[in-house]
Amino acid sequence: MKPTYYIGETWKHAVLIALSIVVILPFYVMLSTSLKSPGQVERNEGGFFGTVSEMVDAKCVKRLEPDRDMIAAVRDQYVGQTDREIKTALMGDIQTSCTVHPAIFNYSSAFTEAPLLRYLLNGLIVTVSIFVIQVVIALPCAYALAKLRFKGREFVFGLVLFCLLIPVHAIALPLYIMLSKLGLTNTYAALIVPWTISVFGIFLMRQFFMTVPDDLIDAGRMDGMSEFSIVWKVMLPAAIPALMAFAIFSVVAHWNDYFWPKIVVTGNRDLFTPPLGLREFRGGSDGSLFGPMMATATIIVIPLIVGFLLAQRRFIEGITLSGMK
Amino acid sequence: MTTRAAPYWFIGPAFILMLVILIAPIVIALVLSFSDYSLGSETFSWIGLENYERIATRSSYINMFTATAIYVVVVVPVSVVLGLGVALLLQSLKFGRDLYKTVFFLPVMATLLAMAIVWEIALHPSIGLVNQTLDSFCGTGVEGFFSFGWLPFVDGTTSWYSRHCSGGFPLWLRDQDYALGTLCFIGIWQAFGFNMVLYLAGLTSIPRDLLQAAEMDGVKSSWERFRLVTWPMLGPTTVFVVTITSIRSFQVFDTVEALTKGGPSKSTYVMMYALYEKAVKQNLMGIGAAITIVFLVFVLFITLIQRHLVERRVHYS
Repeated sequence: MKPTYYIGETWKHAVLIALSIVVILPFYVMLSTSLKSPGQVERNEGGFFGTVSEMVDAKCVKRLEPDRDMIAAVRDQYVGQTDREIKTALMGDIQTSCTVHPAIFNYSSAFTEAPLLRYLLNGLIVTVSIFVIQVVIALPCAYALAKLRFKGREFVFGLVLFCLLIPVHAIALPLYIMLSKLGLTNTYAALIVPWTISVFGIFLMRQFFMTVPDDLIDAGRMDGMSEFSIVWKVMLPAAIPALMAFAIFSVVAHWNDYFWPKIVVTGNRDLFTPPLGLREFRGGSDGSLFGPMMATATIIVIPLIVGFLLAQRRFIEGITLSGMK
Repeated sequence: MTTRAAPYWFIGPAFILMLVILIAPIVIALVLSFSDYSLGSETFSWIGLENYERIATRSSYINMFTATAIYVVVVVPVSVVLGLGVALLLQSLKFGRDLYKTVFFLPVMATLLAMAIVWEIALHPSIGLVNQTLDSFCGTGVEGFFSFGWLPFVDGTTSWYSRHCSGGFPLWLRDQDYALGTLCFIGIWQAFGFNMVLYLAGLTSIPRDLLQAAEMDGVKSSWERFRLVTWPMLGPTTVFVVTITSIRSFQVFDTVEALTKGGPSKSTYVMMYALYEKAVKQNLMGIGAAITIVFLVFVLFITLIQRHLVERRVHYS
């Protein structure tokens, strides 16, 4: 081996590591901010994990602050002391009981300051419904386009190819007008309906079905299966690998989508998807809430990242699916 | 259901949905773009080409085209070249390839809106990591290096870095001169990993014999091999990567809405944000419809160029 070889290799790693630092930077900021107390964020100290020191939850203190009745109730225990002294003593206890670790404070506030669980559930409902409906609509259509002969087939396929040119975000405005004329804005339907037709899914499945041997279908017909059961009992199982990739493609796109929910969901918090919820959090916050906000961001980003790290090859395959025409 | 009717039952739902959800909106947008329609009002009138005229002449829409064009013209080439460069580097690497690939693909997966807000914190003028890091290097060798005073004929004290070391670093998203650039940076950060993965796939499909044959034919330098073999073979990948990156860049919205809201002084007023602000927030559906149509024309234009290039390629292979 020539020494120049190692020099070249070292340079490559140097460049790639520098680039990696820039790429990782926001993830680092997100995680480390979510572990720190407001004071640490403001002074930007404590390294990655924040200091181990505990913090006092100001809201908790305010909630538990003793009023006149409470002081009166415990007066016997503090014989001979003024109200002010009793209050100071009580406040001391409250301070201790309101002391928490910043990370726990941030992540628990993420759920208590806003209905984050509801947002996550909405995200799940919307992404799963979209995917299931897309498959129910696209699969039979793709099967017919690939394997059945009928009048108008070329025309429908031509329409599919044309529709591939239209990004749904681009026609968001007329869709919004249509939905609001039907009184459907601020409903789950508004979040789901525009995505029910995936021409890309049809195209993909059709290409896939073209490679499925006709014998398989003929065997099904011989057994007396109807065309309907061929679609769901023969073609669907055969298409599982392609469907997996499409599922990742679809779920990632709609979990992360912000533009469309932002347009059709206005104000009704019960329908917020995770990105909308996070945005609302930011809108209503001052700097002191950076910690809980970053905890929210982490919780929203984590499911896809974990999925990606566990099934990397499948995720890359799914997301770059549109590149494999 | 008879076998003869089956295809129509299968096609039917998809066909109807395509017409209602994809085709009808284009027609509606086209029709409304000639009107002053707004939601909730009983009447509206036809105003001909007035909406388009406004888009072509009013300064805020000129800003819209400028911002969108700059964004696309910066993000597309940089993220494509970066994606290709990283893919080539990774392919020539002995070890660590998969680790880098994972890292560079992370931004593609992560919810863009969330990451935009994180970038905002990182770029915060006073508590952000970026400015604090830049600041901490002031007066050290790093400043010396990046002010390029060590080059002949360069006065280090007038460099970007040195000037900002003494005068304070930019406010990034709140500075008219830097806001759009910062958004471009986030766009590139998010997109290049996607391009890298497509290029890696493209590179593995190049037959090894071809490069070896070139070497035997006397193409010694690796740059020449890249120029003569790799680059032409990556043609289809490049066409696709450029198209999809352009269409996505045209649609940039999340970062703009969350970070700048089109400002400061309309410097980041991109098309999708303009559409959102005019139509959804201000209920000016006519002008919104006109923006939609202009937008669709752009996107169709790009895609048709792509198809043309792809079809021309077919004859080569």
